[in-house]
Amino acid sequence: MTFHPDTLCPFCGLGCGDIAIDRDESGIVPRPTGCPQADRLFRRSAVVPTDARMSGAAVSCDVAIAEAVRLLGASRAPLIAGLAADVDGVLAALSLAERIGATVDHERSDALFRNLTVLRRFGWSVTTLAELRNRCDLVLVAGPDPAAAFPRLWERWVAPEPAFVPGGARSVVFLGGQPLPETVQCLGSRIEESGLDGSAGQDLASIVGRLRTALAGRTAEDDPMTALAARLRAARYAVVIWAAGLFDGPQPDLIVEGLVRLVRSVDGTTRCAGLPLSGADNLIGANQACGWRTGFPLRTGFDGGAPLHDPERFAWQARLRDADVTLWVSAFRPEIPPFTTDGAVIMLAPPEMAVTPEPALFIPVGTPGIDHGGDVFRADSVVALHADGLIDRGLPSVADVIGRMLMALDQPTTVKEAAGC
Amino acid sequence: MLTKLTGGRLFDPANGRHGEVEDLWLHDDRVVADPGPGAIPDAVHDVTGKVVMAGAIDIHSHIAGGKVNLARLLMGEEHEQHRFAGHACGCDRIGGGSGIATPSTHTTGARYIEMGFTAAFEPAMLGSNARHAHLEMSDIPYIDTGGYLVLGNDDFLLDLIATNAGQAAVNDYVAWMLTATQSLAVKVVNPGGINAFKFNARTLDLDEAGPHYGVTPRSVLTVLARAVYELGLPHPLHVHGCNLGVPGNVATTLDTIQAASGLPMHMTHIQFHSYDTAGDRKFSSGAAALAEAINRTPTLSVDIGQVMFGQTVTASADTMAQRHTAPLAHPRKWLAMDIECDAGCGVVPFRYRDKSYVNALQWAIGLELFLLLDDPWRVFLTTDHPNGAPFTFYPELIRLLMDRDYRLAKLAEIHPDAPANTTLGSIAREYTLAEIAVMTRAAPARILGLADRGHLAPGASADVTVYSDLPDRRAMFERPDLVFKSGRLVVRDGALVAMARGCTHVVRPGFDDLIERRIARHFDERIGLPIKHFRIRDAEIRHGAGPQLHPCRRREVP
Repeated sequence: MTFHPDTLCPFCGLGCGDIAIDRDESGIVPRPTGCPQADRLFRRSAVVPTDARMSGAAVSCDVAIAEAVRLLGASRAPLIAGLAADVDGVLAALSLAERIGATVDHERSDALFRNLTVLRRFGWSVTTLAELRNRCDLVLVAGPDPAAAFPRLWERWVAPEPAFVPGGARSVVFLGGQPLPETVQCLGSRIEESGLDGSAGQDLASIVGRLRTALAGRTAEDDPMTALAARLRAARYAVVIWAAGLFDGPQPDLIVEGLVRLVRSVDGTTRCAGLPLSGADNLIGANQACGWRTGFPLRTGFDGGAPLHDPERFAWQARLRDADVTLWVSAFRPEIPPFTTDGAVIMLAPPEMAVTPEPALFIPVGTPGIDHGGDVFRADSVVALHADGLIDRGLPSVADVIGRMLMALDQPTTVKEAAGC
Repeated sequence: MLTKLTGGRLFDPANGRHGEVEDLWLHDDRVVADPGPGAIPDAVHDVTGKVVMAGAIDIHSHIAGGKVNLARLLMGEEHEQHRFAGHACGCDRIGGGSGIATPSTHTTGARYIEMGFTAAFEPAMLGSNARHAHLEMSDIPYIDTGGYLVLGNDDFLLDLIATNAGQAAVNDYVAWMLTATQSLAVKVVNPGGINAFKFNARTLDLDEAGPHYGVTPRSVLTVLARAVYELGLPHPLHVHGCNLGVPGNVATTLDTIQAASGLPMHMTHIQFHSYDTAGDRKFSSGAAALAEAINRTPTLSVDIGQVMFGQTVTASADTMAQRHTAPLAHPRKWLAMDIECDAGCGVVPFRYRDKSYVNALQWAIGLELFLLLDDPWRVFLTTDHPNGAPFTFYPELIRLLMDRDYRLAKLAEIHPDAPANTTLGSIAREYTLAEIAVMTRAAPARILGLADRGHLAPGASADVTVYSDLPDRRAMFERPDLVFKSGRLVVRDGALVAMARGCTHVVRPGFDDLIERRIARHFDERIGLPIKHFRIRDAEIRHGAGPQLHPCRRREVP
């Protein structure tokens, strides 16, 4: 039995670095963290099937790669999606996409694009988790409690006493949403009612609009938003947090734009910053890598070799309808969203994944931070973290597998093209 | 692989060669002495009459990391308009991507090497973002890189200063941070100002005590300059001063020179810090006074941050300055971030127009500084890419410096009131090829402590650029005939012909382990991350290749 303290968790995007893992011959088990994701996803058996499968039949990895290359090489409209991998895996996927003219997208990019649309059109003023923890005296939570997606957000970043707030007091106000029971337990009396928790049927967009009206000084004195606007203006460092992936209703990007404008109007006189959270399974890292490699965010394809970005057309759900071959990459968790396609599916996923219908090809891969080391980005987008491997189960990384596909793809042409160099 | 370049004129100022005709031999990745008559080269390139220099080195170019990647996102229109397909070259696809002001990684490497640059350094790497910056740098092909660690607004350092922890503790902290983040140098950006902005201070002058800590920018500057000196880092403290872009800031810049009180200091993008308040518009050039002060202070080096006209984007850790610039954003969008009790970043797209009085004067001030600073060993060719202009403007900038008639013709095109407020029109100086070789090769290598770069003596890295000696210096420097990276021919007649990878340069001054306990407590209590997850290991650099270390020599302030 070996013990791994301070293990980095790559799953939800908060980048908790304090997970305790026990390892013995049967596998790895986390000590309870209070986070359902870490508690579940760090539990892995040592013995797992490592064979690839072709139409359900076990084949060697070499055969599987040769078949993948055949399918991808012949594809006229390939899609690389899921894209849940460490940074190296994503970069390998981008190289492959450039090579075969595929479009790329991450399984969870919907949440990201609700924010990116506003960032690219308007810009924003935001902050990071350590600033929240140390500087923030007023937290305004817009919409549903982000703890639903980021379980230890409050425990790790808001419950500790802020270093730069005199007296150490801070308040957490929920606007257009309600705290989860675990959040109430964690934050206790720090939580305050805004008077508009969304339960009376008001939608978030109009609640944010009302608060902005109040900030402009155009609401009645007894309007709850008037008092909240005054609180924001009086705070030393207010942080407006949202998890856009949890917004329901039409045009969620308009809510984000309202929040960004709200932050800007407060930040003109006192300090106020947004904290848009999105990013499970290295969503942010995938977007960052796509950004530096192509100059564009996710939902980018290659058109005649040059990158081409289209946030609507190249969303994986839309692209799936036309794709003749889909390479689905999901290294972090043995789960996939429901999807149907008429094309062939090549799946790179942990061996624990149960898939129906059986894809044309299934190649088991390791999970970054469990089977091998890998870099992942935190949900606040600034901090990249390296998650070390914990256990050798004989599973290759996504970068290994795609790297072998790239080499195989180039094999027949190497001699011819090298002569030109 | 033995390569011979025959008949070229070598401009290799580090070794006292200023255009002498001499053969040059490359063996694998090194320059070697003439191996004698028995040696049979694998490749011979006749470069008779051509200009041969070491690969150029850009000491200050924002090419990687969070703010650059955010700038790419914000500059969507530009990227849509400038998309590049990669060339297939063996197993590699090279140069594909998009963007001009914020090119993607492969495109960045391609544009640099096509101009004969073999190294470029990211001058503003935040500790909290260092892993990201390294991931990006290792994805830039062809060129060597390295990062300058931003310190001076981090709460840990300000607390050390405010609590009088002493210079030794500061030195240990700086050394620990350089090691943990795999950095090459230390940069300070608006000392204390970015931190003050988090406490809602909108300005902070050199001798103004900042909020919370009561520490002045002057003390941050001197403490860091001393730490860098005592640790014996090759590169002096890299200083982005207070009051960037503010009319009248030349006074602050002159005071900053005084504040160094004899310690070596590199003042960066001084064009943005050279503004006076004469004239009807209360905006004029302070270049003459500043140049005079720099000329008589041999411990100072500077780079310019030249402005060139056109669309670009400004990306800086200086959130305080960027908030002042934001209303001028073009297109009208901008972003700002406070980052990890460390620093911040602000990204503001900007279009410099020759018919704008202010922009025209900025352009003139940069050139004035280049031409009034008399020692090319202490002045470096930069546009503060992309803040003054994209680095692809260097050939045009070199022409402006080498060709007086061309410069005067351009001066006649700008806003008519600008020339009267600078001395540019009266300056006759033209840079020589030897001076360009100093400014873009020999001096950058020396100021960064890269002993085997920037020159062509035996043992040097075989990074070599061959140009045709054209009267149009822009055309000459835009499109070298040959570029070798680590001995490999990668550019021929301006086009990429093969792939190569550079390395990442770092320093690693030692420190007393005691400081680690204090830093670890800070990480646990404030940053919310065990210290071990912050530290970047050698194996993380360039996919396991690891960094190239440069020695530090501890010394004491006299």
